[in-house]
Amino acid sequence: MNTFLQLVLNGLGKGAVYALLALGFVIIFKATEVVNFAHGSLVLIGGYLVYATKDALGWPGAAVLGIVSAAVAALLIERLLVRNARGADVNSLALLTIGVDVIVTEEVVRRLGNDIPFIGDPYDAAPIQFAGLTVFRTQLVALIVGAVLITAFFLVFRFSNWGVAMRAQAENKEAAALMGIRSSRVTATAWLLAGALAGVAVLFMATQDFSGAGLGRGTHAIALIAFPAAILGGLDSTAGAVVGGLVVGLTEALSAQYVSFEFSKSAVFLVMLVILVFRPSGLFGTRELSRV
Amino acid sequence: MSAPGTVRSDVAPLAVESVTLRFGGVTALSDVSFTVEPGAVHALIGPNGAGKSSCFNVISGLYRPTSGRVRLGEQDLTGTPPHRLAGLGVGRSFQNIALSPHSTVRDNVLLGRHPLTRGGFLAGGLRIGRRTEARHRARVEEICAFLGVADRLDSLVAALPYGVAKRVDIARALAVEPTVLLLDEPAAGLNATETAEMGVTIRDLADALGISVLLVEHDMGLVMGIADRVSVLDFGRLIADGPPEQVQADPEVVRAYLGVSE
Amino acid sequence: MSERVVTERSSVLVRLRTSWPSVAGVAVLLLVLLVFPVFAGVAYLKAGQYVLIGVVGAVGLTLLVGQAGQLSLAHPFFLLVGAVSYAVLAGDSGDSGDLVGLGLPPLLAVIGAVAICALVGLAFSPVSGRLRGIYLGVASLSLVFLGLYLGQSLDMLSGGTSTGRPPPTFDLFGFRFANSDPAPTILGVAIQKQQRLWYLFLVLAIVAYLLARGAVRSRVGRAWRAVRDNEAAATAMGVNVARAKAQAFTVSSAFAGLAGVMTALWLDLVKPDENEFIGTYSITVAISYLAMVLIGGLGSIPGAVAGAVLVNGLPQVLTLGATEFGWSIGTLSPVLISAFVYGAAIVLVVLFEPGGLAAIGRRLTTRQGDR
Repeated sequence: MNTFLQLVLNGLGKGAVYALLALGFVIIFKATEVVNFAHGSLVLIGGYLVYATKDALGWPGAAVLGIVSAAVAALLIERLLVRNARGADVNSLALLTIGVDVIVTEEVVRRLGNDIPFIGDPYDAAPIQFAGLTVFRTQLVALIVGAVLITAFFLVFRFSNWGVAMRAQAENKEAAALMGIRSSRVTATAWLLAGALAGVAVLFMATQDFSGAGLGRGTHAIALIAFPAAILGGLDSTAGAVVGGLVVGLTEALSAQYVSFEFSKSAVFLVMLVILVFRPSGLFGTRELSRV
Repeated sequence: MSAPGTVRSDVAPLAVESVTLRFGGVTALSDVSFTVEPGAVHALIGPNGAGKSSCFNVISGLYRPTSGRVRLGEQDLTGTPPHRLAGLGVGRSFQNIALSPHSTVRDNVLLGRHPLTRGGFLAGGLRIGRRTEARHRARVEEICAFLGVADRLDSLVAALPYGVAKRVDIARALAVEPTVLLLDEPAAGLNATETAEMGVTIRDLADALGISVLLVEHDMGLVMGIADRVSVLDFGRLIADGPPEQVQADPEVVRAYLGVSE
Repeated sequence: MSERVVTERSSVLVRLRTSWPSVAGVAVLLLVLLVFPVFAGVAYLKAGQYVLIGVVGAVGLTLLVGQAGQLSLAHPFFLLVGAVSYAVLAGDSGDSGDLVGLGLPPLLAVIGAVAICALVGLAFSPVSGRLRGIYLGVASLSLVFLGLYLGQSLDMLSGGTSTGRPPPTFDLFGFRFANSDPAPTILGVAIQKQQRLWYLFLVLAIVAYLLARGAVRSRVGRAWRAVRDNEAAATAMGVNVARAKAQAFTVSSAFAGLAGVMTALWLDLVKPDENEFIGTYSITVAISYLAMVLIGGLGSIPGAVAGAVLVNGLPQVLTLGATEFGWSIGTLSPVLISAFVYGAAIVLVVLFEPGGLAAIGRRLTTRQGDR
């Protein structure tokens, strides 16, 4: 029982990180209908800057810089590339982000060289014991940070001008434009926000606690888990992204313990497949992802 | 295979029987019945939102009616998977031209032969059945000639003027060798001359091939000029059904069109 | 797309006149490919073989992505299934007897491996037939992870991640694709293992190319394009959309399976990857195949060939350049440079030339008079 509770807590912590990634993914999709395959490279950019500057700036400063850089990188992808590919359909735009992803990932990995640094200095590798449970501090911090950020996001999404504009745009682009909503600014904010969330997520991903592996190709591969999280929740549902993230985190933690570590990633994808077969638009998705 | 000019004798009546269609709480069609007689040009008209498109989509199998059914002769079309309808003799065109823009006219019209041909990947890859393919290509050329687009067979659809593309869309629907042809706003987007030509073509189709035509159309001039029978929908109900002159004089139709107190 | 070339050729005469240069071009190309082993050393032959593997895989993928409009990242999974199936069907139980091997004739094993990949692809129909475009792409990622897990856990089939298992030598009615003494010669050059494999791969690539081209021009290809362009219209013309999508996925899987068998023969090893992000059957490979078809021009069979030459050929050429001519590429590995090049090529193609190399090629070969 204790093991199980422990797994659930750690799984939720991981899930919170996946939720941050999936949420960014969904925000971009809602704003632009682009499936952003470059999400993993945003994670790497943020992580790399933390690693490169933490000795000079101290960890907190480096963390902020990392988050900002990931956000700016996302904005640049949107402004310089996606925006300029006017004639391209959304599928081509998704392929375009794959191209960006390849370049950025290779460059970051090249710069890291043989290093695979851990970047979660303040909390990593210092498990907490309470009530007979061993909880990874990283996952616990992630859970708290995730809960705060996600709550903040939903408040903003619900009540701010940006949130209203964003939802209007996702609903009907032409109508939103007629209402005077500046699609360009809404879209830019969406990418910026998604990048920032990826920058936060990486602070927990490249840790001893989370993956046992430092920043590198492995981190990029972990970011791929955001796909099943977003898809099983429903690509156009922000709430779905959060639920999807948690489902993925729990699935990974439980299957790693009860089946095998190697199986845990496949398990995540299998859960997604099963859900897609029965609900082709995901658990909370409304947009038609399939039609016959 | 009948050549254009040969009147088909196997055309069955298309009967819409008490069709009701609800989406959630909204009733799009309410107990609608009418029959497209063999060889007739039958028009389905009505103000915007009257349920014409819904009705059209029920007939072509895209929507499943909440109750009621659609029959072609003895064949019940309700609940038939939509991709089977073409093989049963139902051809349809689309309001906003649903052709493949980067393929040639020939390629697009050949798609209509799909239900009449067989063969999967290996047959295609190994080029089995080239002789039958040649026969179908010849027929496609005939059909395109009938619609006056034979000179554009090797053009890409994206390069065609709108009016020509509309005709190609109809040619493709004809390529399935339908006994009933469903035309969704064939004159939408056409200028006056093109509309008149389209009217002549539609009338010719029914007369020369002996097939039935059901068209949804906004252009009253076109409808009244070529239709043998007109059904009028308003708010999902059938409010009139008869020869054009009778329908035109119907007070309820006049009221629906003039839009009293809405 | 900036400009579209509209060709209207009605008479057979015109067609003949415009096609004879391309007939001559194909003849010259074939001749060069046939005598390639005569003037190229083993290192060049290996590079060429690798390109031919890419051709088979890319041709299969462009049918799915370009013709049917469905994205797939599962290509490496089917490469793995093809490679392992071949080893299992044709192989023996290994020195220690802990491998499954049925010892079938290699030709039968190749056909069997391709068939198995087609069946596995078909089994994915509930997903591949229902999801559209990019969503299938993400869903298909699951197969890569599943392949990684199965490859690692089913040692008796895959040979395991530490040693792998050797693929049985291919042979065709007693003619072994291995070194022999004496060996037959062409123009004084001994036709040994690598030369033989080159010819085998060349034949397989040509077969794959012709099959795909025939299919694209037939009923199946028309149905796929219709599904890609407008599902409602395809349905109205009698195309079963779910079936057409599943069919395209199945066909593409079979092509990938053949490329997998070729990969096993090329590496002389069947060995599952240790992680999902780098290796023979990894996501990186999925992306490189996507790059091939995108750079070549979605849906174009010759384009897929050109894409394969660029994406699979470039790292090989750079490696050869470094080893044979001492090109200095500093700390950048050939694989890394190629990744930069094709990553950038993807971006540039989407931004400036959505028709890819195929569109550029068409523009170059279309004469002014045809415009």
